[in-house]
Amino acid sequence: MDSMKLKLIYPEDKIKEPLLSKMCKTFDVDINIRKANVQENIGWLELEMKGSDEEIERAINWLVEHGVEVSPLEGQVFTE
Amino acid sequence: MAKVKALKCKECGREYPVEPIHVCEFCFGPLEIEYDYEEIKKNISREKIKNGPNSLWRYIDLLPVDHPEVGLAAGFTPLIKAENLGRELGLNNLYIKDDSVNHPTLSFKDRVVAVALSKAKEFGFDTAACASTGNLANSVAANAASAGMKCFVFIPSNLETNKIIGSLVFDPIVVAVDGNYDDVNRLSSEIANEFGWAFVNINVRPFYSEGSKTLAFEVAEQLGWKAPDAVVAPLASGSLFTKIWKGFNELKTVEILDKDEKMPRMYGAQASGCSPIYKAFKEGRDFIKPEKPDTIAKSIAIGNPADGPYAVKVAKESNGDMEIATNEEIIEGMKLLAKTEGIFTETAGGTTIAVLKKFAEAGAFDKDEVVVAYVTGNGYKTMEVLEGHLKSPIHIKPSLHEFKEKVIGQVVESSEK
Repeated sequence: MDSMKLKLIYPEDKIKEPLLSKMCKTFDVDINIRKANVQENIGWLELEMKGSDEEIERAINWLVEHGVEVSPLEGQVFTE
Repeated sequence: MAKVKALKCKECGREYPVEPIHVCEFCFGPLEIEYDYEEIKKNISREKIKNGPNSLWRYIDLLPVDHPEVGLAAGFTPLIKAENLGRELGLNNLYIKDDSVNHPTLSFKDRVVAVALSKAKEFGFDTAACASTGNLANSVAANAASAGMKCFVFIPSNLETNKIIGSLVFDPIVVAVDGNYDDVNRLSSEIANEFGWAFVNINVRPFYSEGSKTLAFEVAEQLGWKAPDAVVAPLASGSLFTKIWKGFNELKTVEILDKDEKMPRMYGAQASGCSPIYKAFKEGRDFIKPEKPDTIAKSIAIGNPADGPYAVKVAKESNGDMEIATNEEIIEGMKLLAKTEGIFTETAGGTTIAVLKKFAEAGAFDKDEVVVAYVTGNGYKTMEVLEGHLKSPIHIKPSLHEFKEKVIGQVVESSEK
C-alpha cells in the first residue's frame, strides 16, 4: 500500500463529469480530499491517493487522459 | 533557547517538530520555519553581522542552521550602483544585486543549496538529490561534492547531455527518466517521500527556501541598513520573491532595521511564454492555472509554481505589481545590462531588466527612489540564446589602410549618427 499527495485541476469542460467517482470505481485506489475549490468555470482539489504503486499510476494516467491536470503537491520541482 | 521553535503550516498554523518534512498532514499546506524572534533579537546585532564571515552565514541568527558545513563561501555578492543603466531609465538610485557571481556555481541557487545541504548534514543525510538540468543541478552537484555527499540528479531522458556538463563535472549520479517533465516531477516527489535522501526542493524545502532571505539581508546591509523603496525580481516557483519580502520584514521584526522603516514595493518579472503567476495576479485569482512553458527563459520556466499564490499575495500586500517580457525583450534586457553595466546575465536576469525597464517607463518609480533589481544567474551558462542577436566582427585584411577605412571610418560614421 502506497500513497501520493496530488493536486488535480479540472478544466471548465470537465467540471460536470463525475470523474473522481468513476476513477474510484475503475481502479483499486482510495482517495481522501483535503482541500478543494470548485467553481462554475474551474475546480482544483488536493487529495491523498492510496493504493498499490501500479494502481495509483494507472489511476493518474486515466485522469490525465480525461483532461485533468495531475501534479504532485509540490508543483513543478524540475528546473531547466 | 533555540532560535527555531518549530515548523508551522503556512495555511492552518499547525505546528510540527523540526524534521525533514514539508507538507502539513492535515491541510496539505506548505511548512515554514517558525523562529523565536524574541530570542533572536537578544543575540543579533549590526555589529555581530559586520564581524561575521563574508558569506551568507553572517546572517546565521536568521537561518535554520546551527553548524553550517556546506556552501561556506556562498552569498555576499556585490550590490552595484547602476549609474549608466539608471541614466538610461531615468532612475538616480538604481542598484543591481549581482548573484551572477555567486560561489561556487554562479547563481542564487548557491544560497538555497548551502542552507538546504547544511541542514541536511545536521539531519544526518548522506545523499543529496534534485531534478534539474540547470542552475539547481549545478549547485547541488558542486556543493554535494565538496561536502562529501552522494548526489542524484534526475532529468528527462530525451535531453542532450551537453545541457548537464556543468553538473556532470562534479560526478553526480545522473538518472535519465524515460518520460516528460511531468513524469520526472511525479517520480521525484515519490522518491523524496520514500528514500532517506535530502531532495533539496522537496523534503528539505522549508530549509532550502530560507536561503533566499539572505538576498534581502545583504541588500539592506549594503544600503547602510536601509530597505529599498522598490525591488524587481524574477518569478519562477515564487519562492525567491516571497522570501526576499520575508527577509526585509524579518530584519524589521528583530530591530536590525528601524521599526518605522518602510518595506519595499515588490515587482515581479515573468517571461510571457510562462507566466502563470502574472496571470493569477492580473486576473485576481488566488490559485494558479498550470502552463506548458514556451520561452527562452528556461531557468524561470516553472509552469506549475508551488509558491505562486504566495507571490501574488506579496505583490498585492506590498503595493507592487507584476509584468512579463517576450523573448525579444528578454534578449534586449540582457544586452542592455551588459552594455551599460558590464554584467552578463542569463535569460532570467534579462527578464528582470526588461520588466524593470517597462515599469520605469510606465512611471512606477519616482526618479530618486532606491530601486534594486535582482540578477540571479550568469550569462556565460546560456550563451547560445544570443546567437544571431549580436553585432558581427568587422573583417579586414592586415593593412593599416583597410583598418582606417573600414573600422575607424565606420566607427566615426556610426558615432556621428
